[in-house]
Amino acid sequence: MTTPLEHELKEMIIESLELEDVTPEDIDPEEPLFVEGLGLDSIDALELGLALQKRYGITLESDGEASREHFANLKSLAALVEARRVK
Amino acid sequence: MTELFLHDWRGWTPMRDVPTDTRLDSAAKPAGGSVPAMLRRRLNLVGRAVCDMLPALDPEANRVVLHASRHGDGDRTLELLYTLAENDPISPARFGLSVHNAIVGVYSIASDSRRSQQAIAASGAEWAALTIEARGYLADGEDEVLVVFADQPVPARFAAYAPETPPAAVALRLGARPAPGSHRLVVSNDAAVDTPRPPQPLDVIDWLLATDDATLACPMTHRRWQLAAST
Repeated sequence: MTTPLEHELKEMIIESLELEDVTPEDIDPEEPLFVEGLGLDSIDALELGLALQKRYGITLESDGEASREHFANLKSLAALVEARRVK
Repeated sequence: MTELFLHDWRGWTPMRDVPTDTRLDSAAKPAGGSVPAMLRRRLNLVGRAVCDMLPALDPEANRVVLHASRHGDGDRTLELLYTLAENDPISPARFGLSVHNAIVGVYSIASDSRRSQQAIAASGAEWAALTIEARGYLADGEDEVLVVFADQPVPARFAAYAPETPPAAVALRLGARPAPGSHRLVVSNDAAVDTPRPPQPLDVIDWLLATDDATLACPMTHRRWQLAAST
């Protein structure tokens, strides 16, 4: 079951990363976003960080380990937005 | 001086349609089939074309690549400038793909090529610069080099400052020695070269397609090139 926030994040990922042929249904909330699963790369990570900053006012710390956890899959990303959003 | 021989070529432009010549792709949107979809999404049209042409000319991806473009990706660069003017943070992906070696960079990742690559902009003398660089690599011992010339229309905002640039990309495999079916590139110095504008990728394609003794002229370097039989 996809929550409204998860759906919103799926659309944000598809739009900001220009994923031409991907639909929201293609993104499994529990599958990895990076390398495996959806197959995003390091440039996507930076782009996603920028999108989170613009849309939700979240500035990520430069700690790679924490970012890795936040960006693990859609569920962890949604948890980050829930906890840290300022808009 | 090291001689240049044209071993093979590929071209892409929606501006010409020559169904009888399989070396030319006239598709509005090149397939980009050799590049995985997750990499391909970042390529512009000439980028997709280049990534189609290079594997066709060098399936093993073990040739040096020289990539020239007069304007590069004007659209992405201009978007970055607009963003900076608004004091907004710029897109890392757009920045990454706006650099002059972006297309050959994607090609090298997709084809797993570890060979040298060179990105060239020469204010209109790109073709002349490519032939000089190609001679250098061949004189240095390479059997063949891949030479690419690609440009897309400049954004409307810049149109007053640049000649009209039709979308086109051309890739040539050049060698220092003749090969079956190859042609010799004959260059001549000609002070009287009065072609009104520098040669663009589409001019190179037209020259390659021509069946007569067509010449390709570069007004900046006062040179012209002709294709002759190898022997």
